Amino acid sequence: MKQRFDAIVVGAGPAGCTCGYSLAKAGLETLIVERGKFAGAKNMWGGAFYGPTLFQLFPRFWEEAPIERYIHRHRFSLLTQDSSLSAEFTTKKFGEPPYNGFSVLRAKFDHWFASKAEQAGAIIATGLQAEDLLWDRNTVAGIKAGGDELPASVVIACDGVNSDLTDKAGLRGKLLPRDIKQGVKEVIQIPRHLLEQRFNLSGEEGIAWEFIGSFTRGIPGGAFIYTNKESLSVGIVAQLSALCEKKIGANDLLENFKQHPSVAALLAGGNLVEYSAHLIPTSGKAMIPTLYSDGFLVAGDAASFVLATGLTLEGANFAIASGTAAAEAVIRAKQKRDFSRKSLSCYPELLKQSFVLKDLKTFKKASLFLENSRIYSQYPELACDLANKIFTNDGKPKKKIWKLLKNSMKDRVAFSEILRDLIQIKRAL
Amino acid sequence: MDIIVCVKKIPDPEIPPAKFKLDMESKRVIPPEGIPPVINPYDEQAVELALRLKDKYGGKITVLTIDNDADTSIVKHALAMGADEGIVLADKAFEGSDSFSTSHILSQAIQKVGNFDLVLCGRQAADWDEGLVGAIIAENLSLPLVTLAEAVDVVDGKLKVKRVTLDGYQIFAVPTPAVATVSNEVGQPRLPSGWGIISASRKQIPIWKAGDLDADPSQIGAKAVRRRLVKLFIPVREKKCEIIEGETTAEASVKLAERLRKAGVI
Ligand SMILES: Cc1cc2nc3c(=O)[nH]c(=O)nc-3n(C[C@H](O)[C@H](O)[C@H](O)COP(=O)(O)OP(=O)(O)OC[C@H]3O[C@@H](n4cnc5c(N)ncnc54)[C@H](O)[C@@H]3O)c2cc1C
Ligand SMILES: Cc1cc2nc3c(=O)[nH]c(=O)nc-3n(C[C@H](O)[C@H](O)[C@H](O)COP(=O)(O)OP(=O)(O)OC[C@H]3O[C@@H](n4cnc5c(N)ncnc54)[C@H](O)[C@@H]3O)c2cc1C
Repeated sequence: MKQRFDAIVVGAGPAGCTCGYSLAKAGLETLIVERGKFAGAKNMWGGAFYGPTLFQLFPRFWEEAPIERYIHRHRFSLLTQDSSLSAEFTTKKFGEPPYNGFSVLRAKFDHWFASKAEQAGAIIATGLQAEDLLWDRNTVAGIKAGGDELPASVVIACDGVNSDLTDKAGLRGKLLPRDIKQGVKEVIQIPRHLLEQRFNLSGEEGIAWEFIGSFTRGIPGGAFIYTNKESLSVGIVAQLSALCEKKIGANDLLENFKQHPSVAALLAGGNLVEYSAHLIPTSGKAMIPTLYSDGFLVAGDAASFVLATGLTLEGANFAIASGTAAAEAVIRAKQKRDFSRKSLSCYPELLKQSFVLKDLKTFKKASLFLENSRIYSQYPELACDLANKIFTNDGKPKKKIWKLLKNSMKDRVAFSEILRDLIQIKRAL
Repeated sequence: MDIIVCVKKIPDPEIPPAKFKLDMESKRVIPPEGIPPVINPYDEQAVELALRLKDKYGGKITVLTIDNDADTSIVKHALAMGADEGIVLADKAFEGSDSFSTSHILSQAIQKVGNFDLVLCGRQAADWDEGLVGAIIAENLSLPLVTLAEAVDVVDGKLKVKRVTLDGYQIFAVPTPAVATVSNEVGQPRLPSGWGIISASRKQIPIWKAGDLDADPSQIGAKAVRRRLVKLFIPVREKKCEIIEGETTAEASVKLAERLRKAGVI
């Protein structure tokens, strides 16, 4: 029974499932260990899954995977205390296969994903936590889990943002609160017909809705609402260091958000069925650890592969793409029967060829730019105030919009600041 | 020593009662979504007791469960702890069974497994808390039964079973094969080891259907129930809070005592 595995993948999130699936499919003896009672048991995300990474693995996966809805509309809103200003985008293509994005709930989705890896031949050991690495001199030679030593030629850490194993392999320093956002999310059940009526959806259509504004009290972050079949995923994401400095709980910000009149109306009569919290590594390229060493690779959130541009938050597709690249590197290493650092060095090359490191490089200045507190208070206020002046009819003679804008800017933000921020946007986004 | 352990899947007992819903129509209890069910804690202790016997005397442990979703997760949990074989009994025909039909199905399965010295059940299933199944199996198979077992040993070819009582214990000597229902005094069940989880995860779990058992169709499923559930409801509990004031602590205490007496509490 006891054996040596070709590869042990730690964590059955999107990165681990992809990596384990690809390795098993290539015929490697693969073990995936997951500490949750089942894959997805304790996992959370906002809930929208973007891009073609998944259908490259499983063509027409939407026909079999537990998808909630396909995202056919994106909406973005600026909120002040009692007003909101929104923009929406939709296009016919988003409503047709292969679609552009999906809302999913992870308890079901990860479970499905892990079962695909199992069908491909990987062994999935759930309820098992990797406690430490096994070493053979300076080479990682497996893991310790459940009181046993489990030997393997290579270990792939897909253990998420808090990646203990990356720490233990000595590939990264302490995570800094400034580089991390705290996410909290509620799943709120709403009868299907009511949900579709409120969000103007039909069939399997869904909406991804992002918000920024006064509800974060100047803390860099935002909120989201994603529509599921019969529930809403409602959450906020806020920079950890700012929360600590201001001694505000992320949960308070979520309550703030939920009480906004435009939001409250969407949630009315709903039934809270799930609450969860999770961290997100959002500093992009600046916080990527060393990605490999002898007998060891890092992928997904463990490697901080998350793209946060303010308008979108993408991590799942980066997890899948990096899981694929890690598997490819290991398959090549297996052919050479050499799992040394040198042999695994094709991993970052593969990532550079894919969107993973390209996107993170393109947006490497985004996280710094997104720390600008004007984005979260002054600009939403300015925009809503201007809209208010344009749309309010008080029976008095109207002014030119330019005049109104100047008026709205007074005491809020100077032209020079706007100019500086515009230049920053050009650099960062 | 060869042991068969019956294990049941139940909703997690940690779920607060308010999260359950009732379907009055079909008289069913609906647990909240997303919280995975668990192995009945007493059954996990029965597996632990069986493993202690196996550690000492060797032999084979087979776990049985009736689960109409054909869910293998709790059988795999027992295998991960160290049991050798697991079988899931699943068939539409089993649906709606009461304790008698459940016991009939399990009795038939136990006979099909054959070759056993001891059958272990939990003292009760922590969902309905009836504590009947073990006893009915013993009756069905005409075997000796000890309830509330805390420990089992073998002395002179007989089982020595320690049974928990309110303020002490009894020791029974029973010939094999026998049935025992296991109490929580067994103590903490062992955690599955790494290799245990891996080998359990690899194992194919056979699913036995009604046709695989020599079950009497008139004894299983909803049509065979001997008891009818008349009403299922959540009792209304009222809570009231009254603040009793007083100038001094003594005065407030006296008033409190008077109030409690008036309410009939003391
Ligand atoms: C509030 C929020 C909203 C988000 N919204 C989106 C979104 O809309 N779109 C998007 O694409 N991304 C989103 N993300 C990001 C996305 O969730 C992550 O990028 C993605 O899940 C990363 O996948 P992963 O497999 O690397 O890690 P994870 O999904 O974190 O999986 C890690 C797994 O490893 C397991 N594990 C950890 N340690 C061990 C150990 N020692 N032993 C065994 N198992 C272990 C964990 O239990 C877990 O199952 C969001 C994240 C949050 C928090
Ligand atoms: C009137 C009535 C209606 C019911 N309707 C339903 C219903 O609609 N749906 C429903 O799910 N339940 C229903 N039940 C509960 C169900 O009949 C019993 O839970 C089931 O028959 C097991 O009996 P028990 O709970 O009395 O187990 P107990 O006698 O308390 O269990 C003792 C031990 O027996 C063994 N055991 C019990 N059940 C199993 C099993 N399934 N597999 C393996 N071993 C087992 C275990 O070792 C357990 O520790 C109903 C019960 C009643 C009284």
